[in-house]
Order: sequence, then C-alpha cells, then structure tokens
Amino acid sequence: MSALGHGALYGAVLIAVMLSTVAVGIWFERKFAGRMQSRLGPTIVGPMGLLQPLADVVKLLQKEDIIPAGADRALFNLAPILATIFSLGVAAVLPLSPRMIAADLDIGVVYMLAIGGLMVVPTFMAGWASNNKFALLGGMRAVAQSISYGVPLVLAVLVPVILSGSLSLAGIVRWQSEHHWFALWPVIPGLPAFALYFMAMLAEANRIPFDIPEAESELVAGVTTEYTGAKFTLFYLAEYVHTLVGSAIGAALFFGGWDGPFAPGLHWMVAKTLALFVVVYWVRWTLLRLRSDQLMELCWKWLTPIGVALVLFAAAWVQFAPQGAL
Amino acid sequence: MSATLGFGVVAACALLSAVFVVRAVDLIRAVLWLGITLVATAALYAMLGASFLAGVQLLLYVGGVMTLMVFGVMITRRHEGIAPTATDTVRPVRGAVVAAALFGLVAAAIVNTEGLDEAPARALAPLTLADLGRSILVEHLLAFEALSLLLLAAIIGAVVIARRRDPGPLDEPTEASR
Repeated sequence: MSALGHGALYGAVLIAVMLSTVAVGIWFERKFAGRMQSRLGPTIVGPMGLLQPLADVVKLLQKEDIIPAGADRALFNLAPILATIFSLGVAAVLPLSPRMIAADLDIGVVYMLAIGGLMVVPTFMAGWASNNKFALLGGMRAVAQSISYGVPLVLAVLVPVILSGSLSLAGIVRWQSEHHWFALWPVIPGLPAFALYFMAMLAEANRIPFDIPEAESELVAGVTTEYTGAKFTLFYLAEYVHTLVGSAIGAALFFGGWDGPFAPGLHWMVAKTLALFVVVYWVRWTLLRLRSDQLMELCWKWLTPIGVALVLFAAAWVQFAPQGAL
Repeated sequence: MSATLGFGVVAACALLSAVFVVRAVDLIRAVLWLGITLVATAALYAMLGASFLAGVQLLLYVGGVMTLMVFGVMITRRHEGIAPTATDTVRPVRGAVVAAALFGLVAAAIVNTEGLDEAPARALAPLTLADLGRSILVEHLLAFEALSLLLLAAIIGAVVIARRRDPGPLDEPTEASR
C-alpha cells in the first residue's frame, strides 16, 4: 500500500477510536459526576445507562440549526469545523506503541504545540461571529487565557525535551523506556514539570478550574451560547478530544508512554492516557472555577517563573549530573 | 513536477490571502486572512525542508502574534455590529513607491546572496536542529543577542507608553513617588 493510503487508513482508524473513546468518556463522566454528588448518573438508556451518549448525539443532531441575525455566517459555520480539525490534528504525532505512530515527526513536540496553539482561533472566531455579548466576552477570555497559559505549557514541555535531547514524541518515550520515566526521576524538574503541564493543559482545553471562557454562571455558555445542534456537538467533541489528546501527550512526555512490563506497549499507553483522563474529571468535579484575575495571577506570577526555573534546572541537570544518575 | 505545482498553489494562497488582508473592510476579518497568509508561509517552509521553521512559524505567528492582534483589536474597538476600517484613506501612489522600494531591497539581498547558483535548494543537505542551534548561538551570537536586546527595549517601551496613557488609581502612588 502506498504511504498516502497507509496514512489515510491509519488516520481514519485513529479518528474512529478517539470518537468512540469520547462517547464512552461522556458516559463515564456523567456516572462519575453522579457518584461524586451522591447520585446515580444515567441509568435509563441501555444497561447502566451505557447507551446514553448515543441518545445524546441523536438528540443533538435533531435540533434546529440556528444562525443568529447579524452573525458573520461564514466564520460562524467555519469555527466548529476548524475546532474539530485542530483538536484531532494533534493526534497525528501520538506515539501509541513503538510501531503505532501516524506520523513520527522529528519535531513532533513543536507540531503538537503549534496545532494545539491554533485551537484558540476557532474559539475566538465562534465568539466573535455569533454577534452575542456573552459569546464575545467568552472569546476574549479564551484568547487571554490561551496566550497566557501557552507560556507555562511550552516551558513544561521543554523539560522532557531537554532531559531526553529529542523533539520527537516517540524519541522522548524511547529514551524513557531505556532509562526512567521523567515523572519519577529526576524528581525536581520532572514531577513539578508534569504538574505544570497538567495545569496548563487544563487551561488550554478550557477545563475546570480554568473554564472561565464558558463559565455558565456568568456567560450562559460562553463562545458556544449561540450554537445549536450539529455545530454545538462539534464544539463539545473538540473539547473532549482536546482533553483526551492532552492526557495522552502527558502520559507520553512524563510517564513513559508505551513503556511497562508484562503487557504490550499499546495497553500501557491507553491505560496511562485513561488514568490521566480520569484525573481531569476528578479535578473538574472537585474544584471551583477560578476568577479571571486569579487565573492571570496564577499563570504569570506563579506558573511562568516556576516553569523558567524548571527549564534552567533541567539544563543544569543534563550538563552537570554525574553519568550514573542519568 | 507535482511538487512545483503544489508549491505554486500554496504560494498563490499566501499571496491571495495577503491581498485580502489589505482589502478587508472588517479588521477582525483582516486578521483572520493574515492567519491564512501565515499558515501558507509555514507550508512553504515545510515544503522547502525547513520543518522546524514551519512549526515555529505556526506556534509564534499564528498561535501568538495573530492572537495578540485579535486581542488588541477586540479591546480597543467598539463592536456594535461590524466596524469598518478606514481603507479609503489609503494613498495608492505612496504605497506603490514604498512597496517597490521594499521589493527592490529584498530582491537585491536575495540576488546578492553568495553561493545561490552553486547550490540549488534541492541539493542542500537537510539542516539538523543541532546545526540550527549552533548557527544561532555560536556563529551569529552577537546578532542574536542584539535582537534580544532590541525586543526587550520594545517591551519596556510598550509598558511605559501604556502606563502613561492610562493613569489608573493603582498608578498614582508610583507617579507621586517619582
């Protein structure tokens, strides 16, 4: 099979798998949230409510497609499509197992940051094109948040890059499987860098406690206020995929990706990704939403300086640590 | 042949969207067109084998600079409906002269680059990241540091200007202490 055909097939399988994971993820989140609030969660549709996501999708797709008067129609329609493309696009460089990588780019980390950084464009487009004050405010918040949290995100990702000396995600995982996981050793730049990555990832994916762009108690639904039916579904999907891919990248960068005993690499990678995905929900249903100014203060006064210090420490570690410690 | 055709299509995209940037009546749309120009430029870099440069172009220009522009437009302009920009005040003759001068300058720089004829683009060995780092931080360190200093000066200048224009209640004690 030609390289192009191979890539297209692999991409189709990857997208199908991610979308099914998202569907099950939605069911899991509703169950999980229910348990945390002493409820049962969905129980009616299918055994244990397992078919609930299917019912949700059917319901969403049946809804009327409304475009508000005075909206910028072209941008309004383009935004959900772009959001889905960008969130799925990052998955191309995910190293699922030593042999399962859609595109093993030698600049995989840069690609991931670049495409992930583009996510703010559709969010902003949606906010602006809706011709709605809540949506516009949500869009402005999203832009401010994305610019700010992009800085600690890049700094956190630089730590494993420096320690392993590779910009390829697969290369970083390979290094970890030959030596040690970065979350475990060296503890000082490794573990705090993971915490930093996790927080910045939550902020980039607009997840609680960093979800002020769509804070429903003040902004109705933020940028998605005016969206209905299929377009809203795409935004919802993009947000879930963003979180899922973010968890997978966190697992690859800091927890050794496919590395682990007894089971095949793919199993380990999936297990680690899902574990981080669950932590995202755990955080979401535990913490409160930060206020806008607290968000900026946390980013610029705490996370960014800590990130710079971690990068310097990682560089010093590579330069000065004794050979045995590496 | 198909590579040349693809290059041509992407280059045409970059040029066309650049025209739309200038012609757009609505400032936000102009910024979004600029985004397409920048993405097309990144694609050109990638096609020429400079994939790292392409990634950085996307990361910094589309993800960073364009977003900042959008933010600047949003907080400085009123948005009651669509706010048109004053494109009718453009002076075509002066613009053409400046554009021609800039084109001449860049073209002269390209033509006068040494070794352009001996090494066509395809024959060049792929540049590794290590080469790139060495080139910036060893060979051209002075220029690199000078640029950093310039950017730092620009940031400080921006902060000073922004503070002067908007003396909020928080700034007053600072002004008095001076």
